[in-house]
Amino acid sequence: MTSTLDPIALQHYLAVGGIMFVIGLIGFMTRRNLILMFLCTELMFQGVVINLVAFGAYHDNFAGQAFTIFVLVIAAAEASLALGLIVLLYRHKATLDADAWRELKG
Amino acid sequence: MTFLAASNDVAWTAGPPFGPLLVIILCVVAGLGTVLLLPGRRDTNWRALGGTFIFIAAAVFAAFLIRWALGSAAKPGLSYIYFWIFSLIALAASLRVITHPKPVYSALYFVLTVFASAGLFVLMWAEFMAAALVLIYAGAILVTYVFVIMLAAEAGATGPGSGAVGGLPEHDAVSRSPRMACLIGFTLMGMLMFLIFDRAPPGIAPNNLGGSGDAIAVGHTQQLGKFLFDYHFVNIQMAGLLLTIAMIGAIMIARKRIVHLGADAEEIAIAESPIEIKNEIILGKPTPIDDDPHAIPVVGTMNPRHKAYPEN
Repeated sequence: MTSTLDPIALQHYLAVGGIMFVIGLIGFMTRRNLILMFLCTELMFQGVVINLVAFGAYHDNFAGQAFTIFVLVIAAAEASLALGLIVLLYRHKATLDADAWRELKG
Repeated sequence: MTFLAASNDVAWTAGPPFGPLLVIILCVVAGLGTVLLLPGRRDTNWRALGGTFIFIAAAVFAAFLIRWALGSAAKPGLSYIYFWIFSLIALAASLRVITHPKPVYSALYFVLTVFASAGLFVLMWAEFMAAALVLIYAGAILVTYVFVIMLAAEAGATGPGSGAVGGLPEHDAVSRSPRMACLIGFTLMGMLMFLIFDRAPPGIAPNNLGGSGDAIAVGHTQQLGKFLFDYHFVNIQMAGLLLTIAMIGAIMIARKRIVHLGADAEEIAIAESPIEIKNEIILGKPTPIDDDPHAIPVVGTMNPRHKAYPEN
């Protein structure tokens, strides 16, 4: 890379990634719609990805971006499987409410 | 990159931008605001108050950070302004993702978050990742989400007696235990901010592992590709394999079971399936093999709505 992130700049990006992760976490805990819960996990992925790229720029190598590619792959696989599961669950109970499946808690 | 002088040995002149007490106060204020802003049975005045709380906390936080950066050894440049614009858009949109009661709007705000994150990536010289983020997230994953949201539109959930609020089903309009979630979340956020800004070891010097003198001549994307195929070749193949498996798995999970009513096929089908056959297409006798691709799955259904071309 042409130049590295400075420590102060690195911490700005880490703060943005951390705040985005926490927002996604709060959303995952509070929202009751199955689709929105998975959307919030994507938001948490976003925060992690920003951290990865920032560390990659800080250390001036491409490992962060390579990990980001793998995170994107995992996110795509997770989204396809999760949405398939949501469609399956919706066919059984005709609702997206996560509390409709409360008996799975045991 | 960079909005500060691009040298590897920028002196760590600035101390932490704020003390732990300020972090705690800001997290408490923002947590209260988030509790008020999350969907619930409140009127809009309370939600506006929550938004104001979060705005004040974010403004104070940003002011301390800007003062800290301006007081450092090197002077911020133009891309520092871009950083604040993009991160403001990204964080505000992600807050709206979790606080908007309508799922479609949440998905669209997530698209906005993705675009702003792509802008942040460009600031960090990750042009390829910015493009990939927009293409994969905003282009592929979010379209799938929006499709599922629209397919799973709930007709019966907004009727009387279902707890619906303002035309929305109850599980969209009322959030689950917002106080506890915000307590946990903002405790974590306070710890993160404290660790990032106060306990960051100033001794970590950037090293040049992938150091590259000819970055301009070659370009970051080519360098990234070379890095991937030098160091992560097998991992790339595994990623492709994982995507293939996930695709097959998604098809197998979401397919509808088709039960052929043969001579005594119904008893066999029911006996073989451990769960009750409820939402499945019951077909008539298996249709003969036909070259017309439109004839394969739908001809022979007893439900006229399942025909592919009802106008015929």
